[in-house]
Amino acid sequence: MSVPVVYTPHYLDYNFGPQHPFSPLRLVMLLELLEHLGHPPRPTEPSPATREEVRTVHLESFVRRVEAASRGEVSPGFEHYGLGTADTPIFPGMDEAARWLVGGTLSAARMVAQGQAREVLQLGGGLHHAQRDLAAGFCVYNDLSVAIRYLTHQGLRVAYVDIDVHHGDGVQWIHYDEAEVLTFSIHESGRYLYPGTGHIHEIGKAQGTGRKLNLPLEPFTEDGSYLEVLQMSLEPALRWFRPDVMVIQCGADAHYQDPLAEILLSTRAYAKIFHLLRQYVAEFAQGRAIYTLGGGYSLDATTRVWALLYLLLQGLPLPERLPETWLRRWGLQLGRELTPTLHDPPSPYPEIPRRAEIEQRNRQVAERLLEAVRPYWK
Amino acid sequence: MLVKDVMNSPVLTVEAGASLEEAYRIMLEHNIRHIPVTAEGRLVGMITDRDIRLATSPLSAKGARSTQTPVGEAMSQPVITGHPLDPVEEAARTMRERKIGALPILEGERIVGIVTGIDLLDALLRLTGVSKPSGRLEVTLPDKPGELAQLCAELARRNINIHSLLSYPLDATQVNSVVRVSTLEVRKLAQELRHQGFSVRWPPEMPGKGL
Ligand SMILES: [Zn+2]
Repeated sequence: MSVPVVYTPHYLDYNFGPQHPFSPLRLVMLLELLEHLGHPPRPTEPSPATREEVRTVHLESFVRRVEAASRGEVSPGFEHYGLGTADTPIFPGMDEAARWLVGGTLSAARMVAQGQAREVLQLGGGLHHAQRDLAAGFCVYNDLSVAIRYLTHQGLRVAYVDIDVHHGDGVQWIHYDEAEVLTFSIHESGRYLYPGTGHIHEIGKAQGTGRKLNLPLEPFTEDGSYLEVLQMSLEPALRWFRPDVMVIQCGADAHYQDPLAEILLSTRAYAKIFHLLRQYVAEFAQGRAIYTLGGGYSLDATTRVWALLYLLLQGLPLPERLPETWLRRWGLQLGRELTPTLHDPPSPYPEIPRRAEIEQRNRQVAERLLEAVRPYWK
Repeated sequence: MLVKDVMNSPVLTVEAGASLEEAYRIMLEHNIRHIPVTAEGRLVGMITDRDIRLATSPLSAKGARSTQTPVGEAMSQPVITGHPLDPVEEAARTMRERKIGALPILEGERIVGIVTGIDLLDALLRLTGVSKPSGRLEVTLPDKPGELAQLCAELARRNINIHSLLSYPLDATQVNSVVRVSTLEVRKLAQELRHQGFSVRWPPEMPGKGL
């Protein structure tokens, strides 16, 4: 059975300008690639989230600022809300553009909650850095949290899994004291990478204690170690929590080509991660999940990782080579040769001398994480 | 950062005439380990959970004393104190040099707060600042006037806010600056700074990244 896809061209309006890494080109390239592969998605078009839906997560004072900035008003107070900064510059219509993305993730959640589908792929969203009253790290509104809140209001228990290379801080803080939401973020350690949080001792508070998990990895972590510690920590958490549905943020910026971070995943690791997550969805979450996109700033790698995600979810065969016309067109447009195969070439980067030490440290962090949260698993 | 920004107030105190048992109960109830001792409203000493355990232990030099012993007989004195307008590093130095775990803060004769080792750790965390989403940039600068200003000017020019900045001497000629910056794109920033001649230690240069 194929997995429904949620998408609208309105997503392309979420655009901070040609120099900004959170580029709508990623989606354009991906959709064209899928088309050239002969498997174009036939998406369900969402409606934009309403103001009220955004307000289930974000504060009135913040939403009012986003709306004002979106209309072109100027206020020195915007920066206090993360608007008009280097990462989240203001652009006309940003409120509507952000609400389209929220609407997409929310539609996916509705389809799953109402039983129209078990798994849904939202080809956009994943804006995990946005906080209640703060735009941050390219994220204006937190589509993930709006969807999670909708799901918990339906009486569902949600496990949020975030494989973006950056800590899923916005989602974590928004649901920090909630018992019905488990968050699990695996990311490059905040000691080295934005946003600086995501320490193993951030385990939630009040009713949420023990239900917020963070697995910070050493820079230069590779496929083997990543998969090892992901399984070590996520599987027991899901086995214990038994969610009704999973929300999965599939950021592609942990890929070795990504210009923003230092984790070294290959496309082969991503294929294994997606398989593993689907297996968990089937085993621990009654087969119900929403997959969103997220970060991913190497156009070459991000397109391939998300094509993999799409093809795997649809149960389609994986091509070895990518279509020549697509390669030529985008190679020309970007002025750089693209990887001609879906998967990365073998041994694409020089050997990491500290590999054994990195593996050992990651293992130790995973063990400490479990020690920190397990006492609360009752 | 001043002592008044990190101190705890109001402060629980105990009368010098109260029993050790009573003082210990207050500590357990409030999850604290140090209580200023007062007599007629004036600070006369400090009593810690360690003072109480030592006084009542059969292993102590004078033998175990009754838990009904007045606090005034087991407290430490004279008391070392601080002022709310002292810089926090001065409080830290005092506590480190005198090996004390808590510093009562006085305004005249009135106790207005108390600073503990944990509060100093909180201060350190605030100084190194991960309270807001930010990236980490580490730059080695020549130990000369204006070098840090140049780095800051580069950040300002890019509309990048500094959440915290920690600078410490590396050797006789260089200082290391760890800057928490309000951007996800630290690697791009680092690359541009390198091109301008800055010596960036984190994030590291990595070939093959991009597009
Ligand atoms: Zn990311």
